[in-house]
Amino acid sequence: MTAQELRLCGLLLREHFGEVVAKVATHLLRSGAQNLRTIIHETGISLDLVKKSLCVLVQHGACVFSSGRKGPGSPTEYRTSCDQILRILRYPRYIYSAKTLYGDTGELIIEELLQRGDMTMSSTVKTVADRLTQNMEEGRSMEYSEVSSTFSNLVETHFLQRCPPMGGAGKKDSATPAAPAAPTPGAGAAPVSTDQPTPESFPDCYKVPHVTLIGRGKRQLSSEDGEDQRNAKKAKMDTETHGDEGIYWQVNFERFHLHFRDQAIISAVANKLDQTSSEIVRTMLRMSEVTTSPTATCTKPLSANEIFRSLPSNYNIPRPILDQYLTLLVDDPMEFVGKAGESGGGMYVVNLHRALANLARATLESVVQERFGSRSARIFRLLLRKRHLEQKQVEDFAMVPAKEAKDMLYTLLSENLVQLQEIPKTPDYAPSRTFYLYTVNQLPTARMLLQNCYKTVANLIERRLFETKESKRLLEKSQRIEAILASLQASGAEPEQLTEVEEMITAPEKQQLEALRLHINKLDSAENQVDETIFLLESYVKSTTAA
Amino acid sequence: MPHLEPQQRAMAINKLLSLLTRFPFLCFSKMKGSDNQEKLVYQIIEDAGNKGIWSRDIRFKSNLPLTEINKILKNLESKKLIKAVKSVAASKKKVYMLYNLQPDRSVTGGAWYSDQDFESEFVEVLNQQCFKFLQSKVDLSMDDIETILNTLIYDGKVEMTIIAAKEGTVGSVDGQMKLYRGVNSVIQPTGLVRTPCGLCPVFDDCHEGGEISPSNCIYMMEWLDF
Repeated sequence: MTAQELRLCGLLLREHFGEVVAKVATHLLRSGAQNLRTIIHETGISLDLVKKSLCVLVQHGACVFSSGRKGPGSPTEYRTSCDQILRILRYPRYIYSAKTLYGDTGELIIEELLQRGDMTMSSTVKTVADRLTQNMEEGRSMEYSEVSSTFSNLVETHFLQRCPPMGGAGKKDSATPAAPAAPTPGAGAAPVSTDQPTPESFPDCYKVPHVTLIGRGKRQLSSEDGEDQRNAKKAKMDTETHGDEGIYWQVNFERFHLHFRDQAIISAVANKLDQTSSEIVRTMLRMSEVTTSPTATCTKPLSANEIFRSLPSNYNIPRPILDQYLTLLVDDPMEFVGKAGESGGGMYVVNLHRALANLARATLESVVQERFGSRSARIFRLLLRKRHLEQKQVEDFAMVPAKEAKDMLYTLLSENLVQLQEIPKTPDYAPSRTFYLYTVNQLPTARMLLQNCYKTVANLIERRLFETKESKRLLEKSQRIEAILASLQASGAEPEQLTEVEEMITAPEKQQLEALRLHINKLDSAENQVDETIFLLESYVKSTTAA
Repeated sequence: MPHLEPQQRAMAINKLLSLLTRFPFLCFSKMKGSDNQEKLVYQIIEDAGNKGIWSRDIRFKSNLPLTEINKILKNLESKKLIKAVKSVAASKKKVYMLYNLQPDRSVTGGAWYSDQDFESEFVEVLNQQCFKFLQSKVDLSMDDIETILNTLIYDGKVEMTIIAAKEGTVGSVDGQMKLYRGVNSVIQPTGLVRTPCGLCPVFDDCHEGGEISPSNCIYMMEWLDF
């Protein structure tokens, strides 16, 4: 857990959960596992607030609890890990993927689950149906069954999974059974096992419960706040059961990550070769979705016959052409696809780890190229290929004049992108009798760039907060004016009154607001772009540790 | 030669004279004016072949004093028996070799050096031209411009495969042939470099609350208003 990761986690937590939760979580990140008393003592926050913060963190899976180190009788300890918190950065990408795969319904389901942490199926379906109905035209509403079927689809393709049930069934003081609308795993219950079971270890992980959900979404009238609150309260006390109490669902982040990884490989193939090759690779990956484990080096072998049968119907390529394409993919130096045998017309696999390594290498090269120029990039690629080279050899191979080559190598060395390896000819390491070889190590360099990415995202977030703070007064003014306008329109005012209110914001102020909006959008989209780089580098680093 | 006819004698003498013009060092009459020392130095330079030999090395091999060596070298040069070639490795060094030899690539640097200066412009131009040429063709084998093609490989614009080729096909060496083709990059420029931080020269000095911080970053300001 590095300083950059800690800083970024703090910023993300503060934005999503508020100051208090951020304080508790960063304290836990810094000091490891601690029990309740120690947390209260060291952060100086009241018991009540700490309890609530821990509830929120556990709800979202950012914090896990286990029995203390001193044995089953000691107080529970709470532990956070930054992995889950850093995923907050990727929430927009998850929601967007769900939208492309399952439409608006899927998008809203994932959005609700990400916001709440975990929910039962019935409450998710109801909330989403209500939201969809809100956006539909008058008189139309969304059927619960439609939303349920999308939900089931998401579960079948493993994008959603059941939360692992909390242990402690035998404890007498375990928390009261949770009501459907306010799910809170008991914060005081101590589970029996000390390490957290994965959701996959439970057999019912992907089983959709039988739910009796009949009805349609309710359109919420744009009434005053009082009635909204009353409705919300009513929902909480709704004792209508649907047959799935206690079964909570959460987003399966790993499955989304596999989906992103597949997308990255497919687009790389499309860039390198052509559209048809990428379609073939997409078909192969789709066929291997559920049969390949997340940490596998390559997919299970698929025969050319199977691939031919599974190609999408609008890609009418004859069988010999498919074979040619497969041969082309196998012969490509990037080694996306490999041949594993001859049966069934040829057995082919997608080399996942190698593809990730190639993508990470392309990322490193891209960074060097944009930062230092194409000739430095040439030297960098040369060193990646040829491993260890002397100064003279670098100049010869890259065809760069000696002085410039020296300059570029020293710049790369100072930025730690290139390392120097000494090979002595004599035991006394005399400089005149030592070989100095330049080399690039892909994995440590990737790790270093990953930390730079975290710092960059933190910088972008801080700049965004700064920009908002600078224009705080203006933003508040515009909000007040909008509220006034809305209330005037609702009570049926005349157009002159409306224009009078609108003119309370001057033209330069409008310009400033517009500029602010553009800045915030730019910073937001930049965060997402850097997150793409983070994802590639993280996947690569994880794949090397798994191997 | 009393037993030969005058014509035969003339023919023989002509033949010998022609030999003289073609192989001047065979004829010791030319060297009669110089002494044995010169012969020795000449021999040493001849042994060095087309790589040439440095004057200091001549001194070691012949054990003659420096002044003598220099005089002899000047003599030989004026008689057009040897020439001095500047080495590209060390620009002040001069190597001597026989007059009519082609200097080796290691001395002159080959095609990429003209007058001992690295022809970077020439390299750049060829680089661009080869790339354009390869982009329009599909498979092609080149042999003489292999080093330039390798730089294109290191630029990531070209890739090379080696295929088995029959002996006798154009461009094949030892039963193999190198094929080159133009390729596109595998990814678009990555997300990190689309932000000012990815390219910032003072990235490591930037902290919140410091002199350089995200809040007062001038690069960010320019980038946001772009």
